[in-house]
Amino acid sequence: MLSKTIIDHLIKKVGARNVYHEKEDLLVYSYDATPEIQALPDVAVFPENMEGLQAALSVSREEGLPVTPRGAATGISGGSIPAKGGMVIGLTRMNRILEIDEENLTATAEAGVITIDLFNAVAAKGLFYPPDPGSQNVSTLGGNVAENAGGLRGLKYGVTRNYVMGLNGLLYDGTEFRTGGKCVKDVAGYSLRDLLVGSEGTLGIITEVTVRLISPPQDKRTLLAYFRDIRTAGEAVSRIIAARIIPATLEIMDRTTINCVEDYAGIGLPRQMAALLLIEVDGHPAAVAEEAEGVRKVLEEVRADEIHEAKDAQEAERFASARRTALSAVARVSPTTILEDATVPRSRLAETFAEIERLKEKYQVRVATYGHAGDGNLHPTAVADERNRQEIENVHAFFSELYEKVLSMGGTVSGEHGIGMAKKGYLLRQLGEGGMGVMHRIKKSFDPDGRLNPGKIFGDGPPPSTVRIQGEKHA
Amino acid sequence: MLDSSPVGNFHPADAPGYASILQCMRCGFCLAVCPTYILTNRERSSPRGRAALARAVAEGKMEFTPAVGEEAFFCLDCKACSTACPSGVRVGTIMEFCRSQEQRFHPPSLPAGILRDFILKRMLPSPALMETSMLPLRLYQRLGLQWAVRRLGINRFLPGALAKMEGILPNLGRPLRPEIPETIPAGGARRGRVAFFLGCAMNLVFPEVSRQTARILSHQGFEVVTPKEAKCCGAPHLAEGDRESARRLALINLDLFSRMDADYIVTDCAGCGCALKEYEELLEGRADREALRLFRAKIRDVSEFLAEVGVRSEDLRPVPMSVTYHEPCHLVHGQGLSGPPRQVISSIPGIELREMKESNWCCGMAGSFALKELETSRRLLERKLGHVRETGADALVTANPGCHLQLAWGIREMGMKQPVLHIVELMGRALPE
Repeated sequence: MLSKTIIDHLIKKVGARNVYHEKEDLLVYSYDATPEIQALPDVAVFPENMEGLQAALSVSREEGLPVTPRGAATGISGGSIPAKGGMVIGLTRMNRILEIDEENLTATAEAGVITIDLFNAVAAKGLFYPPDPGSQNVSTLGGNVAENAGGLRGLKYGVTRNYVMGLNGLLYDGTEFRTGGKCVKDVAGYSLRDLLVGSEGTLGIITEVTVRLISPPQDKRTLLAYFRDIRTAGEAVSRIIAARIIPATLEIMDRTTINCVEDYAGIGLPRQMAALLLIEVDGHPAAVAEEAEGVRKVLEEVRADEIHEAKDAQEAERFASARRTALSAVARVSPTTILEDATVPRSRLAETFAEIERLKEKYQVRVATYGHAGDGNLHPTAVADERNRQEIENVHAFFSELYEKVLSMGGTVSGEHGIGMAKKGYLLRQLGEGGMGVMHRIKKSFDPDGRLNPGKIFGDGPPPSTVRIQGEKHA
Repeated sequence: MLDSSPVGNFHPADAPGYASILQCMRCGFCLAVCPTYILTNRERSSPRGRAALARAVAEGKMEFTPAVGEEAFFCLDCKACSTACPSGVRVGTIMEFCRSQEQRFHPPSLPAGILRDFILKRMLPSPALMETSMLPLRLYQRLGLQWAVRRLGINRFLPGALAKMEGILPNLGRPLRPEIPETIPAGGARRGRVAFFLGCAMNLVFPEVSRQTARILSHQGFEVVTPKEAKCCGAPHLAEGDRESARRLALINLDLFSRMDADYIVTDCAGCGCALKEYEELLEGRADREALRLFRAKIRDVSEFLAEVGVRSEDLRPVPMSVTYHEPCHLVHGQGLSGPPRQVISSIPGIELREMKESNWCCGMAGSFALKELETSRRLLERKLGHVRETGADALVTANPGCHLQLAWGIREMGMKQPVLHIVELMGRALPE
């Protein structure tokens, strides 16, 4: 608990409606979308402008409080959980879209702007901001940058990093930084911008983002294919890419997912099929026609068991609905949903699916796998009940062994969710001592006392699993 | 979803099911659609936050504090979060349970409590008493004014609420129940027999609307039977946290309608329809399962019903006007009915349906909310009416008495011109004399 003097001081600086310190409020700033992990802050502050943010940071420094930046808290690696207590700084009240520059094709917005609001604002001017993380209706731009969020369009259009041109923000010591800007080319010094993208709030607090915009595609074609053997689906993915076709969407669902969707939505998916591929090509109408033909040819060559092409937008919508329903359908199966993002070079997809099946058997866990097949980014999703400790332990053992395998294939332990608290244990395995050492030194140069979002990325201690409600002072 | 091991710091009677709370995976998708979160930007006033509070109480990590009770009542119970939730959590329902907990942990002051009990336990269960009681009391039940009254003793009943109470009342006609024939024959070729569930608010405040409902059903080829002994559906009791009275009323209605030989049970009140469809859950283990299933299978909102059986439109007269449609929460989120009302509106010759933005957003009525949270309610209403104005439509159409009162009041307050019409009123204009 913070003293009344400190709270009063914060209220004076940032405004009473922007400072929360009652236990009911603290409780709801103790989590994000990561299962099983919670930690209470001592205070949560929602500055409305830079002065407020500076004031909050200055109080943190005086009191030696850790600071955890927070957007919409939709992350699934624990990035915005205040692992060591202290102050949560919410950026959702700095949420203005500052400029849409049609001459330079950029947009500049404060960190708290909601992703879909930015998308819609630029779309109204005939422009396109492609990154579309699953939480885009609620996630913030600042959170997307901090986690380098991906999305369904990642394969063809890239992820958040590919659109960030400039960043402004503050370090823990109050230093204001500006890096990058509207220049398409910019090699002046180290690219701090690129270091901050995906830094998970451990280096600085991002307050303003300038993103690159493009023209929206003029046309789109949608295909749906079913496979009795998931290896054939994997082969189809590799061959589509090898045919130099980069679809906007190339999504896969396994048999478990197909059946979950069918149980939930009853839209007539063939339950006996081992995999489904949803493929969308977009761009100039002539190119789209050619690519759709190319995709169809590959599907025929590998002998997909069923191939469908949408005749109109309505049918395309219907095709896409199965994939869009996947998370809902799987999440309903049980109370605890553990959504992972194992990612492999896409040529190893079929092998990865085989491994997932083997490990499901070995650990007796229920896992539905779907994801962005085109970029090798899979979401094996375990459904469990956290009241059943044995089941949860099995799930963790399952993922641990799966990640071993993923790493041995040249994959990564996180394609788009980040390390946060949930995957700290895996990171060393992937980066080795050398890589981790360099990252440590970078962290130290930005935040020497380790006050900014401590407990993330580095170290492999167990995550705090219990919530302290009567806030005792932290070690 | 009904098993509930840890009751923790909840009172054991009518505690929210633990599994139903655990089902929340905190993805936050609800934050995009929750009016109270969007207006406050405060996590505890979001569905995810409310579920987390309930979970902490259930796990014994927190007492059922006054703030938890406040959030239970600050929730509009508009159920928009249920539509948005990937994992099927119904925070509105969890909050209904928490409201009943609030009554136990922080009971209302004595005079307010007596009045509340009188309304919920005596007046509402008795149509006759309701119809003869004084005017403000007639309204009291369906508007959920009980909340305001409940707080009489502790100064929450502000002059503003009194003014709004006064202003929102339309000129009441005579209640419909004593006048409506017990049986109205089917017009034209007979298509079946429906039992008409006449809701309290419709009966008392909008008798002319329900008269149209009966007239339309008959015109469409259905024999309409309106049982006089029907009780309140129980929705106000659920909203107020009095689950025991709600169950008592539900049992009477279940028995009454089960004995009627009707193909369907139709209501023109979205709130009633929603409550009736939840009897299975409310009465689980307290009534015959098969009877509950049969009852549930017959319940239809009037627009759901008309869309399902198909509107017979040969002799409908054109109604040349443009309308926009406000979706009642209890229809779109509570019953998942978004297409059918539009289908019915569009089936009326001459009607041009103009979509407004955020048509499925709460109008700010939300039972007692409109009076206990005047400021938030007003902000929601202004946002709604701004979207209505943008469409330039001649009339505003909806399908629930609560929304109807709030919207009509707002339109008067803001000096707008559009009449507010129930879907059946609109359709009634197309019927031949």
